[in-house]
Amino acid sequence: MNRGTRAIIKSFFANRRHLGQKVPIAIFWTSVMFIIAVTCVFISWVTWWFPYEIFSDEVYNIVVVNPPDSFIEYNEYTQLYRDAKAKNFGSLDDYRNNWRNITFFEYNYDGYGASKFIYKKTDALYDFVTFGKWMRENDAYLTVVFPADFEEQTASGDSDADGTDVLTYYRTNSNEYTAMKDDFINIYLQGYQNYIRESRGITTADSVESETTYEALSLSDGDNSDNSFIGIMAKGFVPLIIFIAILYSAMSAGTNVIAGQKENGTFTGILMTPVSRRSIVIGNATGVTLKALIPSLTIAAAALCIPYFTSISGIIMTMLFIASLSLLIASITIVISVINDTVVSAQTAFLPVFLILVAVCVTCIQNYSGNTGIYLYMPVYGQFYGIGNALTKEINIPQAVCCILSTSALSAAMLRISESLLSRERFTVSIDSAAKEIKRAATGGKPSIIERIDKTYGKVSVLIDQLFYPLIVLSVFQLLAVVPVIVSYMRKAEYSQFISNLRNVSSVTEIMSKAFEVIGIFMSNPLFLSLMSVGYALIILTYAFRAYRRAKTISFRQAFSRLGLPLDRPSESLAGYLKGAVLGLCMMGSVYLILILSGQIRFTGFGVKDSLLGTFAVNLIMWIPQGASEEVMFRGFMIPQISTQYKRGVAVFLSSLLFALFHSLNAGFSPLAAINLFIIALLFALIYIKTGNIWMTCAVHTVWNLAQGNLFGLEVSGTDSGASLLHTSYISGAKAIATGGQFGPEGGLAVTFVVLVALAAVTISLVRSGRAVTG
Amino acid sequence: MIRCIDVHKSYVKNKETIAGVSFDIEDGMIFGLLGPNGAGKTTLMQMVATLMKPTSGTILIDGMTADRNLLEIHRNIGFLTTEIKLDPLSTPDRLFSFFAELYDIPKTEIAKRRQESFGRFGIEPFADKRIVELSTGMKQKVSIAISLIHNPKFIIFDEPTNGLDILTSKQVLDYLKELRSSGHAILLSTHIFSLAESLCDRIAVLIDGRIAAAGTVNELIDLTGAKTFEEAFFKLYMDNHKE
Repeated sequence: MNRGTRAIIKSFFANRRHLGQKVPIAIFWTSVMFIIAVTCVFISWVTWWFPYEIFSDEVYNIVVVNPPDSFIEYNEYTQLYRDAKAKNFGSLDDYRNNWRNITFFEYNYDGYGASKFIYKKTDALYDFVTFGKWMRENDAYLTVVFPADFEEQTASGDSDADGTDVLTYYRTNSNEYTAMKDDFINIYLQGYQNYIRESRGITTADSVESETTYEALSLSDGDNSDNSFIGIMAKGFVPLIIFIAILYSAMSAGTNVIAGQKENGTFTGILMTPVSRRSIVIGNATGVTLKALIPSLTIAAAALCIPYFTSISGIIMTMLFIASLSLLIASITIVISVINDTVVSAQTAFLPVFLILVAVCVTCIQNYSGNTGIYLYMPVYGQFYGIGNALTKEINIPQAVCCILSTSALSAAMLRISESLLSRERFTVSIDSAAKEIKRAATGGKPSIIERIDKTYGKVSVLIDQLFYPLIVLSVFQLLAVVPVIVSYMRKAEYSQFISNLRNVSSVTEIMSKAFEVIGIFMSNPLFLSLMSVGYALIILTYAFRAYRRAKTISFRQAFSRLGLPLDRPSESLAGYLKGAVLGLCMMGSVYLILILSGQIRFTGFGVKDSLLGTFAVNLIMWIPQGASEEVMFRGFMIPQISTQYKRGVAVFLSSLLFALFHSLNAGFSPLAAINLFIIALLFALIYIKTGNIWMTCAVHTVWNLAQGNLFGLEVSGTDSGASLLHTSYISGAKAIATGGQFGPEGGLAVTFVVLVALAAVTISLVRSGRAVTG
Repeated sequence: MIRCIDVHKSYVKNKETIAGVSFDIEDGMIFGLLGPNGAGKTTLMQMVATLMKPTSGTILIDGMTADRNLLEIHRNIGFLTTEIKLDPLSTPDRLFSFFAELYDIPKTEIAKRRQESFGRFGIEPFADKRIVELSTGMKQKVSIAISLIHNPKFIIFDEPTNGLDILTSKQVLDYLKELRSSGHAILLSTHIFSLAESLCDRIAVLIDGRIAAAGTVNELIDLTGAKTFEEAFFKLYMDNHKE
């Protein structure tokens, strides 16, 4: 390797002092918090002592009314039986990791969360009101009422558990509870009845049957290694994280070198040196590969520290797979970088590659245990499976050799292409001002087609950028936040229930409703909400970092003012924020009042359930970065950006349109909802223009959502926020056009009215203060 | 010696930006390209600097062509233009060492050259500042120091005093004269008459991609029968520019 190549590689690791002191620290600490949160989830999977209940809001309690003494005895007996079974697994830890070997009911009964029987006595066997009260008080999903002579009936054999003798009441708002009720009756009560008969010396065929029922209901396929949590983590989660790390670091390093150097004019200088094009390509590719290796090897090293994964051959194989993959991705970014002239265009061009590779990851996760055949030997697929196999110590040398060889060949081809592209004028010489003038002269002074396309491209690309950038940023952080939740969800019994329910789904509507059910589960999951709060804060930091990188000469602190969040006058900002909070509360309060007074909704109660307190508290915090990040995305950053290509009025209009479009994927979206979101966005944009910053709109946004979801208990843009202070229900004759139906009030006329009034007020004050909207 | 023989270049079909240009630049000579904006000066210089290939014609640099001896030419040529910029986030010091390594300058000599060229242009106090923080003149000086880091035999200089104050331009021009006396061949483009008049040994007037006339200042004045060099240029322009 010659000296020029080495110099180029070294330049990747030059101390970039310009990054300033604050950026790394802020990003470092937020990342540390994020990592701690994710680590907590990891620990909760592999250790029994972790208080998993904190992250769980499941309710498995059962109210038992008039329990016979033998029932209490039987309960103690099953507890002992369970503990004995746990001993067979070695430890409670193993027991929980093997929950798939445990019957469904047994798992729920003993599962995470404080599930237990609550014994009550009453003479009123049909007092539904009291039963309902007990269920609510104890967070139970089921009430079982025994008749006084249950034992006698069972012993004499004329009792049927799900017949008339035992009464059960259960919550109907979820399929999960229905299934659990059936399990309770079919497994637990059957077992109990057999216990009674046995204790009285009556042996029937049933008792034998119930023993086998336990085994038959086992969900295990006998292949534990692949279905276990460790298998999922090794063959899905860890490779996915490694892939994302490689993709991101390769993209940011790779697009910054050649395309970035062309953009800032430094590339010509490098081309003038006596370093061959091949050395330039190899130097840059090696630099990008090394940069991509740092985070991915760190992640792999962390994963390999987990005792289940540690093995010498596994470490070597993992490193080899990661290195070959990094080389391939680096080569691809170099080709893209050579073809493009600016960092943004290179990153845009990289986007399809990114999406394809993510799709590959998804297909790999879907059939990680299946027969993967030829895919094992292909680049990218091979690495994904290979890393998973190496972690679970399934070393397949021919597969690794083939895969690494094919990857290296592909990378070499890519680098060869880059080299030959670099010897073409088109990709090395930036069209300078003189050449432009010549072209203009050739077309007789009129702007050439290329220039016109350039101009249109500028106008379109700023919109595409402003549409996709928030989408990408949001989905990245949402993905990161959702991964631990999904994995923890996959460990729960509801998951297998959900999957088995999916088999019966026949129509698209049902699939949609199933999907929204899952989203609902996530949205009320305090773990997801807290991770997302961090995620939203990271979105704002990402934007600040982007503004900082783009402006180059400002400090990181000043970059926040480019997002509309100036930090230099804290007291003024705080005053604006408080004003915004009051405005948001007034607006949402008026909507609520209108809906109540017009008789569309009914106030039904007050207070948050104990089990939902966590969700409620996290929700309160979550709305603050959530509102602020949307304001940054759609107001503080977007409006000035669009204004560079359009007039300000058009920028306000377009940003509001994008805001409405952005929410169009939510549940229950309707044309009226679109109009409402549009005018809400318009209102926020006008407030932003009036105040010159987004402190006030951040507060309006936050308090609007907070009041809507967690104060008044309505849906926020199609999302049910779960825990709320006031309880509200729609009256049976409620009109969707007024209340907005499933989308929440934002899809209804009440909001339209309130927002229009506010909009009018802001417009009047804008006109009065003499600051024209378009200008 | 730089030799251009019947060089043509067209970006678009049927429209030649450079339409048959030939000239020789001897060692120890400053050759000036004078022409209005859009005459093709930059294109011509980029071709001499091997950044572009001529559509037809040959450019010989000490008898070498870019097709065969690209890297050898790069070792002997220095190209300075406002189009070449420095990494705004780096420092003069770091850039100097980076390019010194790219030009394969012996490690023992790097420090010596750095001291020499940083001292000459007064870059030393700014050596650790970011490029964005420097003034335009200082940036230009850093750019010159780095482009000439390998002490090239041939120097191609596009608009040498563009954007510089009087003091800095004098520094730069003095340096060019010094390089000439030490036997370098220098090709520079300009649209400033006084600069062309005072500095260049030979001047070629480039109009619409053709050399309208070439020679010393006096030869050009005699050729057109004008009183001053400025007048000579305008006469040449009126005669040769096609509407």
